[in-house]
Amino acid sequence: MDSLIYLYGVIPTAEKEKQDIPAFKGIDEEHEVYTVSFGEITAVVCNLDEREYGQEQLEKKTNNPTWLHEKAFHHHEVLMSLYAKYPIIPMKFCTIYASMDNLLTTLETHKQRMIEVLESIKGKEEWILKIYCDEDKVKESVASYSDVIELRKEEIAAMSPGRQYLEKKKLGQLIEQEAHKQKQAFGETIHQELADMSANTEVKRNWNKDVTGRKEEMCWNSVYMLEKPKVDDFLKRVKAIQNEHGDDGWKLEVTGPWPSYHFSAIS
Amino acid sequence: MSERNEYANKEVGLIDVLDVVLDKGVAIKGDLILSIAGIDLVYLDLRVLIASVETLIESNKETAAQLSSKQFDREKEELDNVIHQS
Repeated sequence: MDSLIYLYGVIPTAEKEKQDIPAFKGIDEEHEVYTVSFGEITAVVCNLDEREYGQEQLEKKTNNPTWLHEKAFHHHEVLMSLYAKYPIIPMKFCTIYASMDNLLTTLETHKQRMIEVLESIKGKEEWILKIYCDEDKVKESVASYSDVIELRKEEIAAMSPGRQYLEKKKLGQLIEQEAHKQKQAFGETIHQELADMSANTEVKRNWNKDVTGRKEEMCWNSVYMLEKPKVDDFLKRVKAIQNEHGDDGWKLEVTGPWPSYHFSAIS
Repeated sequence: MSERNEYANKEVGLIDVLDVVLDKGVAIKGDLILSIAGIDLVYLDLRVLIASVETLIESNKETAAQLSSKQFDREKEELDNVIHQS
């Protein structure tokens, strides 16, 4: 029976011929990673045993957080080591084909587009910005500068204790809403400025604290495709914004350069 | 030293990795035999949430059980006192 094929990414054959890929074990820590060339493009793959990585087994594995953690990092590390040497179209974690035939058919279908993508990402780098915030600090600042809230506080102070309780609760909700607007506006302003320096951008979802495991809230998540010479200016700008707003509870975190996960769409 | 050296190759956290390798990355639809829909981050998100809600319910149950048995003991004691007095 044919093996399953795990696909890490696609690189230009010409680049691969200049220097071979480093030797390393695949995701199962057993099979070697190797390449399959298809004209101008080359797939970086490893074989997997169907009894271990079939649909059902894979679902079971991915339900195990330890496995997911370890293997997601494996995928990331392989991609980073390839990215250090070649332009690469990075595949999503656990991109597995049923057979070599199946993979080759796919490569054939999308070859032209893949060549174009490899060309378009040349000389560019993908960087990700996540903004975290201290919610209490944002609320404090909203409560202190907003006239509407200040006025409302004074009105409440003059009310009967029973009404004060209800009105304070309502005011709390208002502050919450204002803080939300403030977080959004903060992210948008920075994003606009950074987008002007970028060849392409995308605003991503914010992950909640259950996923991030952090005490600060993620309030902005976006990605920038930058021409290499612009990277330094981009990072300098982020640093300057951080220095300016750090004391107000904002934390800008930049990671990169990443393989072009966001700007290599094939279909 | 250029800015990039300060940021590049810094250690990244699990969320940073999952945010790209699960949420993004090229998936060529239609040709994949195996689906990995099961590990959407949103789903992961929910799962953690459910786990924490369950823990909460469990601990509340425990507290409730303790309370009611304490309550029962106290009532029993009071009842005993009344009986002995009479």
